[in-house]
Amino acid sequence: MDRGECVSLLPRVCEVLRDSGRSLPDDTSLEKLLDWFSGLTEAGGSLLEAHPCLLEFISTVVNKTSSDPDVISFALKLSGLIAATEDGFETLQERSVLDLTFNQRHWQEAGLWEDPCIRIGWIQGVRSMLQHSKALGFFVQADFIVPLLQLQTDSSLFVAAAANQTLAHVLLFFQPALSAGCNGTVKSQGSDTRTREHPGVTTAETDHDYSAVLVAISEYLKGSLVRGEENTRLHQSRQILKLLALLLARAAPPLRDKLLRTVADPLEELVTAGCSRLMPPLMDIVLAANSSSSVPDQRVTRLLSSMLNTNKPADRLRAAAAFLHSGHRDTVHTVRAVRILLLPLDIITGQTQLGADTSEEHRFSMVEQLKSKTTCVSMVCVCLTNTPQITLMPPDLLPCPLVVIVSAVLSLLRICCGDSSSGGCAEVFRNVIGSGKVQKCALEVLACLSSSPGVKDELTEVVTVLIQYLNDPDSDPTVIHKSYQALVKWMSVCEDLSSVTDLLRRDLSEVVRKRVCDMRWEVRDSTVEFLGKLAAVPKSVEETRDGTWPGSCSSAPLLREALQDPESYVRASAVAALAQTLARGWQQGAALTQEQTDIVSRLLEILSQDTEGFARRAVLQYFIAWFSSRASHTSPPSSSTTSSSSSSSSSSSSSSLLVNSVSSILSLGSADLDWEVKVHTLELAELLLDEALSGHRGYRKGPETPPALLHPYAVVPDRTSTLRMQGAESDSAGALSDLVERGVVSALLSGLVDCDRPVGLKACQLLITLRDTICPPPLETLDATPATATVARVSCELPACGWGREIRKILGANKCDKAKEADVAGETREEGKGEGNDGVSVCEMLRSLGLDARLDVLSQSSDHVHNSPLSLLQDILTASAAHTRQDMQPGQEVIVDCY
Amino acid sequence: MKLYCLSGHPTLPCNVLKFKSTTIMLDCGLDTTSVLNFLPLPLVHSPRLSKLPSWVSKDGAVNLEKELKECAGRVFVDSQPEFCLPEKELLDLSTIDVILISNYHCMMALPYITEHTGFTGTVYATEPTLQIGRLLMEELVNFMERVPKAQAATCWKNKEIQRMLPGPLKDAVDVWTWKRSYSMQEVNSALSKVQLVGYSQKVELFGAVQVSPLSSGYSLGSSNWIIQSHHEKVSYVSGSSLLTTHPQPMDQSSLKNSDVLILTGLTQMPTANPDGMLAEFCSNLAMTIRAGGNVLVPCYSSGVIYDLLECLYQFIDNASLGTTPFYFISPVANSSLEFSQIFAEWLCHNKQSKVYLPEPPFPHAELIQTNKLKHYPSIHGDFSSDFRQPCVVFTGHPSLRFGDVVHFMELWGKSSLNTIIFTEPDFSYLDALAPYQPLAMKCVYCPIDTRLNFHQVSKLLKEVQPLHVVCPEQYTQPPLSQSHRSDLMLELQPPPMPYRRCSVLNLPFRRRYERIYILPELANSLVPSEIKPGISVATVSAVLHSKDNKHTLQSVPKPPPAPPSKKRKRVMEEPPVVQAPKPLLSGAVPLEAFLATLKKHGITEVKVEETADGHILHLQAEDTLIQLEEDGTHIVCDNNEPLRTSLRDLVLRFLQKL
Repeated sequence: MDRGECVSLLPRVCEVLRDSGRSLPDDTSLEKLLDWFSGLTEAGGSLLEAHPCLLEFISTVVNKTSSDPDVISFALKLSGLIAATEDGFETLQERSVLDLTFNQRHWQEAGLWEDPCIRIGWIQGVRSMLQHSKALGFFVQADFIVPLLQLQTDSSLFVAAAANQTLAHVLLFFQPALSAGCNGTVKSQGSDTRTREHPGVTTAETDHDYSAVLVAISEYLKGSLVRGEENTRLHQSRQILKLLALLLARAAPPLRDKLLRTVADPLEELVTAGCSRLMPPLMDIVLAANSSSSVPDQRVTRLLSSMLNTNKPADRLRAAAAFLHSGHRDTVHTVRAVRILLLPLDIITGQTQLGADTSEEHRFSMVEQLKSKTTCVSMVCVCLTNTPQITLMPPDLLPCPLVVIVSAVLSLLRICCGDSSSGGCAEVFRNVIGSGKVQKCALEVLACLSSSPGVKDELTEVVTVLIQYLNDPDSDPTVIHKSYQALVKWMSVCEDLSSVTDLLRRDLSEVVRKRVCDMRWEVRDSTVEFLGKLAAVPKSVEETRDGTWPGSCSSAPLLREALQDPESYVRASAVAALAQTLARGWQQGAALTQEQTDIVSRLLEILSQDTEGFARRAVLQYFIAWFSSRASHTSPPSSSTTSSSSSSSSSSSSSSLLVNSVSSILSLGSADLDWEVKVHTLELAELLLDEALSGHRGYRKGPETPPALLHPYAVVPDRTSTLRMQGAESDSAGALSDLVERGVVSALLSGLVDCDRPVGLKACQLLITLRDTICPPPLETLDATPATATVARVSCELPACGWGREIRKILGANKCDKAKEADVAGETREEGKGEGNDGVSVCEMLRSLGLDARLDVLSQSSDHVHNSPLSLLQDILTASAAHTRQDMQPGQEVIVDCY
Repeated sequence: MKLYCLSGHPTLPCNVLKFKSTTIMLDCGLDTTSVLNFLPLPLVHSPRLSKLPSWVSKDGAVNLEKELKECAGRVFVDSQPEFCLPEKELLDLSTIDVILISNYHCMMALPYITEHTGFTGTVYATEPTLQIGRLLMEELVNFMERVPKAQAATCWKNKEIQRMLPGPLKDAVDVWTWKRSYSMQEVNSALSKVQLVGYSQKVELFGAVQVSPLSSGYSLGSSNWIIQSHHEKVSYVSGSSLLTTHPQPMDQSSLKNSDVLILTGLTQMPTANPDGMLAEFCSNLAMTIRAGGNVLVPCYSSGVIYDLLECLYQFIDNASLGTTPFYFISPVANSSLEFSQIFAEWLCHNKQSKVYLPEPPFPHAELIQTNKLKHYPSIHGDFSSDFRQPCVVFTGHPSLRFGDVVHFMELWGKSSLNTIIFTEPDFSYLDALAPYQPLAMKCVYCPIDTRLNFHQVSKLLKEVQPLHVVCPEQYTQPPLSQSHRSDLMLELQPPPMPYRRCSVLNLPFRRRYERIYILPELANSLVPSEIKPGISVATVSAVLHSKDNKHTLQSVPKPPPAPPSKKRKRVMEEPPVVQAPKPLLSGAVPLEAFLATLKKHGITEVKVEETADGHILHLQAEDTLIQLEEDGTHIVCDNNEPLRTSLRDLVLRFLQKL
């Protein structure tokens, strides 16, 4: 419906743009317009056919150099977009718009070329146009390569980057045609998908054009890479290196080979010159060249070697890091890179077994760098962040066993705390002592190293150092957090914790008890979180699980205490941790303890009274976790009978406590102010639905078939057949009344009319599932069996106010439509119902709520109206109207806040 | 300029500066660590302490049954505790003109100096320093006097005996100079010599130097001092802090351009960050209370305790300690808590502004109002009836040798539920606990020292750029236990001058200028002439008059009017006694121009010879030499006065006259 309106509005919009480009609602309007057009083109339509007014628009704008530069730029980009198809290209050429539009001299003479937005419009226009050989011909004929190469070093970074992209595009997009024609080498399709899109019509003309472009670019690359003045050179070289990286990453072998042959020597010269600022882009090139070929190229290998051998320690380190991350497993260079990366660690910790870079010269220059605080911290961090990568190497490529790396990291951590028994370089110590950044990096690495083979021997040391960190009063909250993470990681990976039992019992318990009382809520939060995670650590450590073990039930009192924490995050974490700690009890279906009862009542108190959403959300998640763990551990019901009675059978166990609390949770949760709490409430309701309905044929769990994608009537035949089964019918009635009784239906209904869209959506999906599974079709369409009648009789009560009133309103509105012809008596009965608290038939209500239509509305994002092209066009017109009407002062602009 | 160092304790300094005819004592700190060698003074009879065995040397030769007792392998002196005083022999202390006090911790030795050395000068301190210092002294006297010990142990001090004692008694130095506490009378007399000053107030000392206190940010009224003459500036930096606690922030900019900066009172705990320690304090406190134990905090009655209480005020609710009673027990508890609230002008800005609201600057007022914090002069009296456990007790003395804290140590030491948390950095906690061993109580060491750390001080020095820095030798090398920590020492260029107890330093700068005043009438008579743009010079003849270190130029007294006697008249005809001074010359003779002028005057045969200082012109025809040098011109010509005169005039043409 929009499209027609858009077509009719566009000419007026074009008119507005042509005349008063300045009165646009905001500076993204043109971009949005262009996005819309590219969307249309990508969908396969012809822009000019759909919107003939565009041709007129372009030709007027490019002829009128007094137009607003933004509009001209827009016209340039639009022309490129239109010319991307051969038809569009021809049309533009026939109307001789193309020549003028992309005539750079035309814009220069008009004095507009100075404006970067014109240049970028021009570049992007050219870039979009270059999708077929005719465009390439036009490109070569007009000699666009010269300005494009100039723009590559443009003062505007955006222009320069766009020029680079375009240059790369020309060479890459048309490359297969070249490989067949010119060199006679085997034609390669390359990995680029667009080369395949390309018709591949390799006429001699195209080949000729392409080789002209290739020659021009190659000459330029060769000539400018190391030439020029010192200050301009850096910028230019960097741009060229970027271009080369773009090209080499996607070039097929012939093109890559040619390029490499052209630039290998200048590149080597650059590497030897040792300009630090060019090192990252140089490395990109090496990696790009390496990644696009399966067989390592000699020249690239040589380049890589010289980069890994450069004199500046920081560059060398970065090069080594980049190499390792590229994922190449070239033995010689990998070994080299690893040795380089381990050098800072070696120097600081004095751990010579690391087998790091042994060159005296390298070591000396590195020590010098490490003596300066800023470079030291950054270099150590580079070293550390790459250490996990190193541990993934095959053992034969490593200069030392992994356990040595672990012990070096531990030494470093000790040094950071001011404790140094190792024989490292004392002058460097002062730079890392107390450095939170290094500590965090090292702790992360330590956590990663836990799963490496052969490192378990260090467990005692690791736990000692981590407890030291947890105990250190100067440890930053984030450092403490990372220490906890590392500890959990090591404890969960190591099967045999017997060697650290004492440490854990005595020191860790002590420090944890202290940290739950910490002044900083972040620390309390991490501690509480840690206690939860510790409970989930695999169970092979039974011997440590007595009263003093921090992960055991002894942590429950600490967590219960934390439920009263003044900080809501901590309360939330405490709830979550309690869930993890008590999970074992639920799973074993143990008898109810006083502690559990206390916790549940405390949680209900939080849910009803806590002022912060986090804690209340956590409570819901607690019950969700409990409910799911219970569901997964009670044997799946073979028939619906067991399912409905399972809740009442285990009255003595903890699950009866859960079942008993569910209805209060649902009613509290759905009345919450926080939408996330409400969504979680609905998730809990979903679990209850699952449990009640899982025996029914035709019941599908929500997540597997998102109702939004499902055709609303798709399940009807299935459902009918289910409902015809006598036995299932009566169970349906039982299940339904059970759901009503537990408050599930009320929760869903109140969610349906909630003002928060996610809540409404979720509730609507669940209600549809319920309706489709359990409710019989309207009585008049099927033969009413006694069972269907039973189901239909299940009713629920709607409260007189709040969501009850809303639901009644919807029902009333729908009823009104139907009851227009109905008798007066019926209507009065309906009204009477609205006032009192009489039961309403659930099935009837589900059918009458118009759920499917509601789902459609709720599925759309809330801003879908404002993001449509129609709205954009209307905005532009309105803004221009406002502009002309107000007769504004020059300089005054209409500012419409789109967001 | 000389500096006499009377104390070896870097945070309890006592130095004497001789600067321009004044003798200034900088601080008067009392080293109380000596009390750790003594047995605690229990408030109520302690069977445990009284039953300690006497120490007998291994061979049984030495038996000081009454003086030395043994406890858990260490030997203690059973006597009234004694303190280590500042050095008294290094210079005659009666010559001291003034004593400048930087904070209340650094004045505890004042009565020893002012009362027993013949001191007749003045003591300068800020008001909070005086008042709180008085409280601390009062408290000390009270602690000592309420538990009198009949005997004073002296035999152990005998050199022969001391040598045979086990450490640390064996290594204690100058034990003969150790003194018992002063009396209240001496305190009052000493403090009567204090004159109050305000921040930035300038006090003239004999016209020679000016001293003025600057806020140092460490405690209420704590100051650094600037001692300056017109052309020299010495800064004395004692305990200073850059942390935002309760006192006024540190005034750093006034320390700029010092010739010498004397740096003392850096943090005693360079590796312990006060924030971390405060957090540690709170969590240990909460942990103990939650487990049903009591917390004992041995502390001074002023200073960090205000911050601790403030921190706890915020923490109490967080840690759900709302119902736990907090007791502050000190003979001066009440005054200390009240004083802190009234020194508004000495507080940080944040707290100052509260004074104008109906809200006390420190939240401990609210703790007192809500009965969460209760204070008592001692454990006797009201306290014993109000006492409820578990609780938190703040009480002195941090050395655990005297004061109410001794009682709580005896009371709570046996239970592992209780915790003692050390917050004062002045004493080694292990030494403090030694006479209480074996101890079941948990000990936590959270020394909170807000004074400058090495990182902060090097930044400060970089900013204020003193020419020379003088500091205790402890600051010039890393701590003994952490010799690899090169970050825990002062690294400066030029290196700081270290001092130790009894050092006498010649401060490395010399007075070069002195300010002289010119009387208005004399100034009126001056005729300045400009020699360079902006610089004018005038000659002056006057009489220099010096009094009270002030120098004044006065006009030369006119000769008395001549009496109308004939004889005298004749005298008057003689050339006057005071001749008008000859004009002074300045400038240089340009060689080329001078040669040209000579040529113009017919002197053509000139041989120019270059010398180290200038040129020698040989006028060959006239057989005359002209030496042109940087600071003089000589014309050497024999017996040709007219030629000399005309040459002189030619030279004078090129010079300016004043």
